[in-house]
Amino acid sequence: MSSRAQAEQHIEVHKFYGGAMALAAFLALVLQAFLNKYGSWAAMLELPLLIIIYFSVSRRSPAIGLLLGAAVGILQDAVSHMPIGFYGIAKTLVGYVASSFGARIDTEHPLSRFGLVVGFFFFHQAVLTVLNRLILGRPGIYFSWRLLLASVVNAGIAMALYPALDRLRKPHG
Amino acid sequence: MIDFPSKQRPFTLLAIVLLLQVLLLAFQIKRERDVRLVRVWAAELFTPIQRVATWSLSGLGGGWHNYIALRHLRQENDQLHGELDSLRLRNRELESRALEADRLAALLHFRDTHTEAPMLFAQVIGASADSTSRIVFINRGERDHLKRNLAVITPDGVVGKIVEVTANSAQVLLITDKDSGVGALFTETRTQGVVKGTGEPQLQMEYVVNEERVHAGEAIVTSGEDRIFPKDLPLATATAARPGNPFQKIDVKPVARLDRLEEVIVLLSQQDISLKPETEVPASAPATSASPPTNPKGQQ
Repeated sequence: MSSRAQAEQHIEVHKFYGGAMALAAFLALVLQAFLNKYGSWAAMLELPLLIIIYFSVSRRSPAIGLLLGAAVGILQDAVSHMPIGFYGIAKTLVGYVASSFGARIDTEHPLSRFGLVVGFFFFHQAVLTVLNRLILGRPGIYFSWRLLLASVVNAGIAMALYPALDRLRKPHG
Repeated sequence: MIDFPSKQRPFTLLAIVLLLQVLLLAFQIKRERDVRLVRVWAAELFTPIQRVATWSLSGLGGGWHNYIALRHLRQENDQLHGELDSLRLRNRELESRALEADRLAALLHFRDTHTEAPMLFAQVIGASADSTSRIVFINRGERDHLKRNLAVITPDGVVGKIVEVTANSAQVLLITDKDSGVGALFTETRTQGVVKGTGEPQLQMEYVVNEERVHAGEAIVTSGEDRIFPKDLPLATATAARPGNPFQKIDVKPVARLDRLEEVIVLLSQQDISLKPETEVPASAPATSASPPTNPKGQQ
């Protein structure tokens, strides 16, 4: 057996209580829409993205990750002014890639989670920029200091949010 | 909980989900002139295919029209070549008939302009089988009142004389024959001599003294001294002269086209006639006005 296969065997696959993923995603969308009413600072937040990253990494299933991402993204499109599929595509890709990451590295450590959130925040932003440019015909940026700040803010929120979500896991055994 | 085929076909599922959402986007987004993006993509997707299809069909059509549909071209080409060869033969035949008509028209014109001299038209029907003699046969004989030593001419000039006569044909000794001799004189100086055949296309004029100055191109006519040819018929032109002993050696060229004889005129008497310029056929003379060429009975 290869060393890579041995490493994967030590990575746990977490399961959650029924409806936990759906409920968390729904609440994230509602909260995101709610907070957006209170100023431009709220626009830096990407709570649905944090939810997708967390459950995809935890479940370590690409299918579940991409479907969760697609569902949350399309709902986010539905409650925003963006065309349906805009966030859907971006979050589908994030869910798929995050689940792949979760199957290969340890994502339980806070620093790992912080790094994953920052990385996926920029990945998510890059996909949105590509979609903006290619499909919507609008300008978009891949990096700015504001985006960096937003990624750090979201990673910080994730540091508080993810331990809370860990409580929704089914106990092993 | 639903058990997704997470490890079996995640990438296929990803592609399907992404494709569906991209299509969803394309149905919603409008580009310039209010055209939906899906229509733009469809046009961009299908236009090259349609272009290739059109090009292919055009190529097939071109191949059909230029190659397959022309598979009978070789056969048709061969057929047309055959028709062309046939038409060429027909054209040569018509040209030959036209030339014959022209010659007959010249003969008729000659007869009409020389009504004072009795003459008879004849066709050349053969030549001597002997390569050393210059003899032709004509389709006239005793039945046409021909006899020996009658002059035979064309509108161009002297041809020869009749040497043998049968019931329906006669033998004509051409002036190029070795045994032929015609009394002649130069038109300018009136110097007399005898034009003798050599067996070759060229003739020689003899009995001209060395003191006589002869110019190349000088015309020679019959003198009438031989009692066969009327006087002043065009006979030959001088081509070269050189001193000899005791007479000059003068090369002359016959004016009649002896190598292309087809119709000739037999003079039934030695009455003087002049061949040129009166015998020249007018340009407007209709070639078809000639009487049938094979059996002219125009004795005058």
